[in-house]
Amino acid sequence: MNFFFKDIKADRHILWEVLVNDINASLTYNQYCKSADFYEVFKNIIISMIFGKEVILLDSDFTESELMTLTGYSEYTEFTELLDRRSFSVFNSKEELVEKLSTTSDDWRLTLFTSGTTGIPKKISHNFNSITRFITTTKSINNIWGFAYNPTHMAGVQVFFQALLNGDAIVRLFNLTPNEIQREIKENHITHVSATPTFYRLLLSSEETFPSVLRITSGGEKFSKAIAYQLQIKFPNAKITNIYASTEAGTLFASSNDVFSIKPEFEHLIKVENKELLIHCSLLGKLNTNIKEWYKTGDLVENISEKPLKIRFISRKSDTINIGGYKVNPLEVEEIILSLPGIKNARVYSQTNSVLGNIICSEIVCENKEITESSIRKLLQAKIQEYKIPRIIKFVNYITTTKSGKLERL
Amino acid sequence: MKDIKKMSQKILEIVNKVLENRSKTKLESLSPEMHLRNDIGFDSLDLAELTVRIEAEYDIDIFEDGIVNTISEILEILNIK
Repeated sequence: MNFFFKDIKADRHILWEVLVNDINASLTYNQYCKSADFYEVFKNIIISMIFGKEVILLDSDFTESELMTLTGYSEYTEFTELLDRRSFSVFNSKEELVEKLSTTSDDWRLTLFTSGTTGIPKKISHNFNSITRFITTTKSINNIWGFAYNPTHMAGVQVFFQALLNGDAIVRLFNLTPNEIQREIKENHITHVSATPTFYRLLLSSEETFPSVLRITSGGEKFSKAIAYQLQIKFPNAKITNIYASTEAGTLFASSNDVFSIKPEFEHLIKVENKELLIHCSLLGKLNTNIKEWYKTGDLVENISEKPLKIRFISRKSDTINIGGYKVNPLEVEEIILSLPGIKNARVYSQTNSVLGNIICSEIVCENKEITESSIRKLLQAKIQEYKIPRIIKFVNYITTTKSGKLERL
Repeated sequence: MKDIKKMSQKILEIVNKVLENRSKTKLESLSPEMHLRNDIGFDSLDLAELTVRIEAEYDIDIFEDGIVNTISEILEILNIK
């Protein structure tokens, strides 16, 4: 088992020595990283670390207009630069490469985008410290990670670093069918899986159990005792951990159930105000200047106990809708719908759903009857990522508003 | 016993509506053993949409008690409830 990455979708089986060779042979670098090939994304991040350059992670399915809004460009070839090969020596082994990456310089930046609260996604930058704060390095144990997240999102980045800095193996599970996922876990003897409750729910339908898995991490969505119980049957040898993490702060708390105990050393950096969880800016990626001393997470919690501080997550305060772990801002979707021809008014809201937790729905007032649900969906497919597109569109004569005249979202 | 033929026809319509919305190729017919993900090619977004559309028609959330895999499982749930 000395492979670095296996991806049946892209037909890749990369040994660590191949990765080392590929890194040694790279001559160019582009800070804008947009590729559907996970290996390309991983390689790009590694090169950026070695050279202490910024890497900007873009979802491979961002549309041209999304890219324009986020970065001001939609085409990035002009940003390709030649690497100055004199500044680093050739790596002779996996150990040398991992050693180098573990001492990444302070100049290095990893930038990604998260659904903002204002309608436009927010840009978040991290340095090596803020990304790896909760990463544990255990020498000499070769873990095999099931990779169940998008590599350009924070959760995927964290799993990648956990595996990378330990010299472990990564097996892609993201966007595979349940059959393929089960086969990959069994065939590769995957030991660690980190995923959303939605991902696990889709696996729970089969009778199979997975004894090779020693560690299950769940995050990104509300966790429940029922899921914990079902997961324990499915993964009989696994220790199950529920984590709370955000793009801004990375992983913050861990727990074996739905209640989080805050460690005493963090207690002064966490507070609950009007039921909302606030975290101190020192826990965030240092470069986010627009965040004041306390960052409002938009997550509503209930206090289970004061000393020691224990909290449980209830729901989201902000308008953000959680679609199977993906956060969507309805304002962003509304703006895009309103920009389509023939649309007079639109409201985007969430509806609870047994598959994804929530789904996005929309009420639309349009000028003529030629506009159909599928014609709108097709137009939206060119403008925003698929998971942001309303699954159910209702045509109405007028949009209902709340007493304060605002659009109702829940 | 509810009218299975009529129900299957309706499910086909709903499945095709979901496929059409994702710009995927529609199906000519459905068979009971068809797997929603492996054969029809639904992802979790499609499954989420499917369950809402079936619920709108039959007032039953087919995924309420866990994940459903095949067309026959859908028909079974709709028939029992």
